[in-house]
Amino acid sequence: MIRVENVNKFFGDVHVLKDVNLTVEEGEKLVIIGPSGSGKSTLIRCMNYLEEPTSGKVYIDDVELTHKNKTEMARKCSSMVFQQFNLYPHMTVLGNLTLAPIKLQGVPKEKAIEDAYGYLERVGLRHKADAYPQNLSGGQQQRVAIARALATKQKIILFDEPTSALDPEMVQEVLDVMVELSKENITMICVTHEMGFARQVADRVIFMDGGTIIESGTPDHFFENPQNERTKSFLSKILR
Amino acid sequence: MSEIFTFDNVRFLAQGLGMTIMIALITIVLSIFFGSILAIAKNYGNKFFSKLASAYIELFRCTPNLLWILAIRFMVPIPPLASGVLSFTLFTTAVVAEIIRGGLNSIPKGQFEGAASQGFTFVQTLWYIVLPQCFMKIVPSLLSQMITIIKDTSFLWAVAIEEFTGKSMILMGQLRTGGQVLCLFAVIAGVYFLLNFTLSCVVRKRQEKSAI
Ligand SMILES: Nc1ncnc2c1ncn2[C@@H]1O[C@H](COP(=O)(O)OP(=O)(O)OP(=O)(O)O)[C@@H](O)[C@H]1O
Ligand SMILES: [Mg+2]
Repeated sequence: MIRVENVNKFFGDVHVLKDVNLTVEEGEKLVIIGPSGSGKSTLIRCMNYLEEPTSGKVYIDDVELTHKNKTEMARKCSSMVFQQFNLYPHMTVLGNLTLAPIKLQGVPKEKAIEDAYGYLERVGLRHKADAYPQNLSGGQQQRVAIARALATKQKIILFDEPTSALDPEMVQEVLDVMVELSKENITMICVTHEMGFARQVADRVIFMDGGTIIESGTPDHFFENPQNERTKSFLSKILR
Repeated sequence: MSEIFTFDNVRFLAQGLGMTIMIALITIVLSIFFGSILAIAKNYGNKFFSKLASAYIELFRCTPNLLWILAIRFMVPIPPLASGVLSFTLFTTAVVAEIIRGGLNSIPKGQFEGAASQGFTFVQTLWYIVLPQCFMKIVPSLLSQMITIIKDTSFLWAVAIEEFTGKSMILMGQLRTGGQVLCLFAVIAGVYFLLNFTLSCVVRKRQEKSAI
């Protein structure tokens, strides 16, 4: 589904991704963990070309991402959920969910609205359809953002620390929605520090440090029996 | 008092006021249109267009408005209303472009990223997502600019365009006593004040609302 080949990324002189290789299967739930600055966001953002690799290639369904086709590929293949939600503040929740389907995918307005109510139902926010994002709690905003990502019906959803900006009491409501989502055949790639979520949902966990993938394995392998010293020390800090 | 404000004179002044408001309205609409193009060119255009937009903005920011009013009036053979609108649009566009750029720069990067992640092209992102937010933010600044335009249209009297001040000055020539002159000046000032104070109150209302 997604193939990352020998990807390097520099920001100026800073070498942020170092020859990263990664393949994600269709329907796979992948969790990426690692210390701050290790390149997790950069990697996941290379998968929809929000960041363009300095060298190396990214393929989705065997189509190579390029500067030219990145918009079209994003429209067809993937959506993203951000740490800061990035909802459109000048539109209601319903407007946020229907904008892309109507303007980009040619869905008739009535159908788009009907669908949007369906997705809001799934994240438990049908009653907030006419609210503006600013008037919702952080947890609610992130659930709307997830509904917005679903509304465009792509097969891949990228999550970049979706719960890190939330007050602790709101984390669970968002994780619940994500767990629910994981039961479907959507390819989910999540950068997160929620280890409980990783254990429950992930097919595979990868640990990044210093711009490379240090270790990769099933959650059981990862949490019971990590091999690499750096993985161990990171996990011991985060699980404490 | 009743000698000055006869029905005919009031109608005469009202025509001038109509001209003033007309010039201000057309100017602001045109300036928003061209200012948007300039602002987008300066912010997001390639080097050539960005430089071109900057050059235009700097040119009109660093030269006196009256100079352009005079130049347009005496060198471009068009009717008075059009002449007023053209000269005001030329320099107001530069100011409005900077206001719009301020609005654009205040839109968080996340809005562009959110839109890109959904597959919006850059132009679609501007049109559906960025510009609507930008204009909502700059309504107060645009209204303030409107006040400036209304006040500055009085310069047009100097080139014999009969807007509100121009008409008033013609009327002034027919007055005999100092009391009448004072009275007319007071009324002119009062009308400008009422018009602009109303706008100013709207600005304050909007600012209070957006502060919440
Ligand atoms: N646009 C940018 N310009 C310059 N440097 C950047 C940029 N984006 C990221 N970096 C740098 O690249 C490195 C990796 O950043 P990245 O955001 O991918 O890390 P991360 O693993 O997601 O960290 P965090 O857990 O803090 O989100 C960091 O050192 C960061 O400072
Ligand atoms: Mg990050």
